[in-house]
Amino acid sequence: MMNEQGRALEQLLSGAFICQTSDETLWRVLKNNDYAEKIEQQLNVLNRTLTSCADGEVFYAAYQHLGDDERKVLGTQFQETAAGLLPMVEWLLLVQQAVGNDMPLTQGQAIRLPELQTQIEDTPAFKEQLQKIARYRLFNSLSTEVDGQLKQLFKKLTDMGYLIRPNPEKQIYLATGKVDYLFDVLKFIDETEALSLSQQAEQAAMQESLL
Amino acid sequence: MNPNLYNSGLKLLHAMSRHADVIMQVYLSGSLDESSTTPQVIDNLKKLGILWRPEPEAELRLKSAVRNLLENSLQDERSRQIDANIGSALNGLKTLADHYKEALHHGRFAESQGHLNDLREHVYSLTESMSNSVRILFSRIHNEFGYVASIDAKIRENELAQSQVSTMLQQIELFQFDVLAETAGSNRELRLLLVVTLQQSFSRATQELSLVQARLLELLGRFREYRGRTRLLKGFLLHQEQHPDFQPADYSALSAVPMLFNQASGIIKPAAADVYNVAHETDLQQLVARIKALHRNDKPQTQRSSGKVSLDNPAGEAVVENKLKQAVESYFCDIIDSGQTVTALQYWQQQQLECDAEVWIYRVLDGYQSLPDEEKQYFELATHGHADPVYSGNYVVEDVELGLK
Repeated sequence: MMNEQGRALEQLLSGAFICQTSDETLWRVLKNNDYAEKIEQQLNVLNRTLTSCADGEVFYAAYQHLGDDERKVLGTQFQETAAGLLPMVEWLLLVQQAVGNDMPLTQGQAIRLPELQTQIEDTPAFKEQLQKIARYRLFNSLSTEVDGQLKQLFKKLTDMGYLIRPNPEKQIYLATGKVDYLFDVLKFIDETEALSLSQQAEQAAMQESLL
Repeated sequence: MNPNLYNSGLKLLHAMSRHADVIMQVYLSGSLDESSTTPQVIDNLKKLGILWRPEPEAELRLKSAVRNLLENSLQDERSRQIDANIGSALNGLKTLADHYKEALHHGRFAESQGHLNDLREHVYSLTESMSNSVRILFSRIHNEFGYVASIDAKIRENELAQSQVSTMLQQIELFQFDVLAETAGSNRELRLLLVVTLQQSFSRATQELSLVQARLLELLGRFREYRGRTRLLKGFLLHQEQHPDFQPADYSALSAVPMLFNQASGIIKPAAADVYNVAHETDLQQLVARIKALHRNDKPQTQRSSGKVSLDNPAGEAVVENKLKQAVESYFCDIIDSGQTVTALQYWQQQQLECDAEVWIYRVLDGYQSLPDEEKQYFELATHGHADPVYSGNYVVEDVELGLK
């Protein structure tokens, strides 16, 4: 059997995000400075470095030195992230509204698929929204039914690492730290491009309440 | 004891238990639906001071004392009332203590006992109300203000709780233990009540309040984070609507790529099995055992498919079976005729039989075993073969030899 350090190294080198929800043991290993230093040394051999986001709660491997090849990889990666932003944002808002607790999805939060499905099926506006989201290239669902669209969405999101399904017999999904990573990306874009997104949303909400 | 007070108290409690359903209904819905019960009951409850009408046209409501009783006993999380009037309670204590000391001084012991009991009552109710207030705050924090739905409402609730905590803390500052100690003087009973009991509950309350404050701040931070995130999402959508062609600049092309967009690609692929690793032997063996054995016919596809099983002529199959059976019989007869031992494969070659050699050996064994016992004893069957090179105890039969005994 491999020890935790080896497993953490394997996960990192296969491009995974490690957070408390996805694998608590490994996450603790990485939180421990001694282990993290050892892993960092091993990663350095392969031109990688241990990186964290979401206030140090989510770990992944980044390139240590950027050559042309690495830049090419990062370029395509960025294109994918940028193209996936709008569908992901719409999906996050849909879940937040349909679940009805007014809380954005964060790491460790559970989504009960059957409950979400009934909520969406009972509300025509959510249904329309879902249809729109499912047709994005990111999710690429051809189904016309809520059931099929949701299944495809959740399958894709699980494949991409945004959700995990701890018990394969139950339709309960947990959000992973990658969701927090997505918020970090949004924040970064907001700040760098000086979009002041929060203010825009606040103003829109105020106008709505005035109307 | 005052018998009148006792009796009217009993009457009140009886009325409450008799009309418990009405009271609970009012407690839950806030006001009484007067059509749901008779005017006598309403009058009765009003007279006893359980229900009251705040304004002439308003609906009947529960008196706050009854409401507080229910909220405290049921530990209802909706309860937001916090009794923070410690200053006046402390003044009351001081007055009572003075009464007590005066009565003692004049040697009126029965009166002094009454004052002491009153004082005790007040001290305990003060400590209870303090711990109650803290408990109410805690229970609201505990489910993160789950009784209101939106984040904004939660933030408002949090702010209310914070202001209540600071009021509590301000009130608690009114405890002046030097003054209390002076009031108690050298009297043992008074010292116990005013200094020891109050000090214990004081220190407990301050300790818990500081915990409450820390939790409230933490929660507020989290709620603000949630609100910020929601606004971020909504703002992004708005921005996309207003600027549909918005594309963030390619940060990966910057000279210093932000770590957020620096994600190394996966380079590890599954490892291969090592068949020479002894530790893996059992696992690998189990894997091998699960592989299905395939007996492929080495004739080409065209020949195999031509041998179709047609159900039109089920007798065809029987003909082949019969042919083999006859061949086995003639093999046995041949041995009887010649009186020499012949192996099954030798006979198979001599007669140029069409069937597979292995099938033929099986048929011969089958034929021998199915002979009746008295006929079987004339023959003797020997098997030719070799022991399996790897698995001891296994014997591979290559040919059988049949002869007369």
